[in-house]
Amino acid sequence: MSGTSDIAAWRARYPRAFGPTPMGRALRYAGGAVFLAWVAGSFWWLGITPERIWNGLSGLGVILRLMVPPSPGEQWVEILEGMAESVAMAFLGTFCAALVAVPLGFLGAGNVVTATLLRFSVRRVFDGMRGVDQLIWALAYVRAVGLGPLAGVLAIFTADIAVLAKLYAEAIETAEKRQVEGVTAAGGGRLAALRFGILPQVAPLMLSHALYFFESNTRSAAILGVVGAGGIGLQIAERIRVRHWDEVAFIIILMIVTVGIIDRLSAALRHRLIGTRR
Amino acid sequence: MLELQGLTRRFGARTAVSAVTLAIPAGQMVGVIGRSGAGKSTLLRMINRLTEPSEGRIVADGRDVTAMRGRALRGWRAECAMIFQQFNLVQRLDVLTNVLLGRLYHRPTISSLFKRFTAEERAQALATLDRFDLAEQALQRADTLSGGQQQRVAIARALMQKPRIMLADEPIASLDPRNATVVMEALARVNREDGLTVIVNLHHLDTARRYCDRIIAMDAGRVVFDGPPAELTAERVRDVYGVAEDEFHEGAETPALVA
Repeated sequence: MSGTSDIAAWRARYPRAFGPTPMGRALRYAGGAVFLAWVAGSFWWLGITPERIWNGLSGLGVILRLMVPPSPGEQWVEILEGMAESVAMAFLGTFCAALVAVPLGFLGAGNVVTATLLRFSVRRVFDGMRGVDQLIWALAYVRAVGLGPLAGVLAIFTADIAVLAKLYAEAIETAEKRQVEGVTAAGGGRLAALRFGILPQVAPLMLSHALYFFESNTRSAAILGVVGAGGIGLQIAERIRVRHWDEVAFIIILMIVTVGIIDRLSAALRHRLIGTRR
Repeated sequence: MLELQGLTRRFGARTAVSAVTLAIPAGQMVGVIGRSGAGKSTLLRMINRLTEPSEGRIVADGRDVTAMRGRALRGWRAECAMIFQQFNLVQRLDVLTNVLLGRLYHRPTISSLFKRFTAEERAQALATLDRFDLAEQALQRADTLSGGQQQRVAIARALMQKPRIMLADEPIASLDPRNATVVMEALARVNREDGLTVIVNLHHLDTARRYCDRIIAMDAGRVVFDGPPAELTAERVRDVYGVAEDEFHEGAETPALVA
């Protein structure tokens, strides 16, 4: 349809339509080379060789073979109790964190708090708290309040406040302005504007974040137990120490089933509370 | 020649399109009119096989379209290009890439996944955009364009498929009157200059009368009128729909087209 002369003419008019400039192409290749060097360098520096991975895999194979068949062992009541404790810890920690995160989220949202200095400081506090992992909080709380689930609940609570507050602040910032304007125009004050203009828009998102965190915290509650912060983790750690891999396998299956059930329940709850927009 | 033989589509208990039989010769500009829910969209989507027919056959130049699968089906879709009410451009890609998507069937899969299109295809895409006064916008993201511009990009994408039929599903329902005219003119040009068969769903009788050689009116999934625009008089509309033309338009959800 179009001859070579046409191609040349179009290329002259819109060179960018026919691919990047030589400069852009060179930059692209250079970027790719740097990235590859980075990946290779990391492997080298950490001493990761195919041989070591292979040996590790065969060790893992031995453990997997010892796991079959999974067995609840003699102290299965303790396992069940530990699991229940983990779920309770995750629920309590997430619930309290989600509650506290709502006002903090509003404080950190640029379209709510216009005082830049205040918002900036709130945001930096979130960042600081997020910089410290849940496990570190757990270790600190075990020293502070002693072994047991309270330390775990506090660790989940502290670590999640910051993350949830940040997510909530971002959700609030994407809320539509017109709905707020509608409430203000009807004579509502600042708080009423937040309550009726913004909250209905972001509540579904806040709820799904909180439910997702609950599920994810049930999983991470296993780790908290290892450092003595209560829950199923303690049971796992003990059984790994004495190499009862079949009982470890049983606990893992129990955890997968529990998380699956929570996932199902929270999906159903989300559906009920949020409803489907038609 | 495109033939529809007893084409039927049911959604659960509801019959959207009921035993439609039509023969459309090559190069015709056909307007399909009817109120919302009359089955116009389903009919068009079945021709492109975006919706599967429950019963009946589609035959194009002796080939059974309803039996096509895999690459043959993709070939058929390239051959009968589709224009949508909401344009269906990929918003985050630039206009040029959107237009080049029309070449997907004609290119090896792997190279097209890496956005490797030949210089000739790129020149062709620019030339096609230029036909609709959009070459300047080729490197902008699709979501920066107005609705009327986006619909013209969609037509350019459709033309890159080298189609023989163009199906347009309410192409002007989301546009303001001025842009609607521009887009209808573009479709008419495609019909006149490129000799494509154009089948266009419309809400408005006036638009159909103005641009089409043949009007097909649908109601509750059935064809209730099929003939040249001159025959679809105000009396016929009243016979067919049981309401006057003005009321027919009230059933439509779009503002009247000022041509």
